[in-house]
Amino acid sequence: METLLSLSNDLAAAVERAAGAVVAVHARPRLASTGVHWRPGVVVTADHTVRSDDDLRVTRPDGRTVPATLAGRDPATDLAVFRVADLAGPPAPLGDPARLRVGHVVLALGHGPRASWGVVSTVGEAWRTWRGGEIDRLIRPDLTLYPGFSGGPLVDARGDVVGIVTSGLARQLELAVPATTVERVVEALLATGRVARGYLGVGLQPVSLPETLRRAAPAAGEGGLVVVNVEPDGPAARAGILLGDVVVALDGRPVGDTDAVQAVVVGRPVGSAVTVALIRAGAPVQLSVAIGERPVRSR
Amino acid sequence: MAAIAAPPLAVSGELAADLEAVARRLRRVTVLVGGRGQGAGAGIVWGPDGLVVTNAHVARGPVGVTLADGRRLRATLVARDPESDLAALALPVGDLETAEVDDGAGLRVGQLVLAVGHPLGLAGALSIGILHRVPTDREGAARGWLVADLRLAPGNSGGPLADERGRVLGVNAMIQGGLALAVPTVAVRRFLRHAGLAAP
Repeated sequence: METLLSLSNDLAAAVERAAGAVVAVHARPRLASTGVHWRPGVVVTADHTVRSDDDLRVTRPDGRTVPATLAGRDPATDLAVFRVADLAGPPAPLGDPARLRVGHVVLALGHGPRASWGVVSTVGEAWRTWRGGEIDRLIRPDLTLYPGFSGGPLVDARGDVVGIVTSGLARQLELAVPATTVERVVEALLATGRVARGYLGVGLQPVSLPETLRRAAPAAGEGGLVVVNVEPDGPAARAGILLGDVVVALDGRPVGDTDAVQAVVVGRPVGSAVTVALIRAGAPVQLSVAIGERPVRSR
Repeated sequence: MAAIAAPPLAVSGELAADLEAVARRLRRVTVLVGGRGQGAGAGIVWGPDGLVVTNAHVARGPVGVTLADGRRLRATLVARDPESDLAALALPVGDLETAEVDDGAGLRVGQLVLAVGHPLGLAGALSIGILHRVPTDREGAARGWLVADLRLAPGNSGGPLADERGRVLGVNAMIQGGLALAVPTVAVRRFLRHAGLAAP
């Protein structure tokens, strides 16, 4: 019976090790969400569970409820960061999400603490959320996120926190934001209160390019993107991009879908220039666009 | 085409053997209450003299009980408390193997828990999960349900929720939001005391 007993003890010990850094976050009506004491005086939670920017409170593991202030939020990665002056105990022990393999036993914790277990179901490459947030690697745990679990830690069998779980990043899919991504976002939010992301201010729709048009624009690949929306006074509008233009290349690299455009634009420093090759009325045109900062969208 | 050689299963092999042993032990003290197939519940052999504990919503009167060894007996209902969802049955046999019961004093969130029952009529099925939450000191004496991250189905009602050693921690009673809810053994003991039935 020793092996089963050891596994049981290991799981309980992993919960206890991580639970000292798990708080309840009161930032929406009724259902509290979960947060992680990430660094001294800093709590991370899931942004979609934060409905108001003020009158924020967290309940510590010892049951005391203390006030918190918002340091910043990044809807693109579904993370929000609070400063809490009065956090007892040490921050979470952080683990390396690169060590996770499909099949590893993992736990998700909710405030209380409450626990849910399962295995790592999928580990994948870096990916971009529908709001343009860069996530270092895809981690999908096969476990149940019970009500109020979003914003809580994904914990490995050692009791190390390897990510933040959320049901808010993908429809019907429960995912974890790896600890490395959380670190990067925490750093940016504490420094400037936001994560700046490059932005062109256009709506694009992929189209395939007929042979004749491809010949007209030497930089073009198989496809391009027709401009279906131009944000008034946005970076593209200011550079002279018009509705109906077909974007075929950025900085000389052919672009055939919106992912390719995002890959160039999102990581660029705000204010830097990108050369946009496009086809307008059958003729090639080149414009220089100064990348702007993506405005924070209201929910 | 040669198959990839299987690695030696040092730990998971032992784990499987341990699980098998606990499952066998729990199955020997778990009975089927009511008719076979869907609609049946489970029960726990609590005393060697034929005392069986189950849910009040499983036993509403005299009822047929099938022991793990296949013997089918008629049980009388000796006590029933719908509020705690507990019922006690008496079987006309003696010398039964009884469940080992734990009072749940040292429970830890995350520890493994096992359930045996007859989910959807599947007799003697084993489920494994972890303890989801434990009532804290702040909640004081208002000890409610044991809550487990464990998949149960109708037919598990009245059966044991046990620790990794096979010691019974509670009586499975309800599924709520995907979680398993069990009546803790302290409540079972209280119920048996009030009913004037000798608790082991």
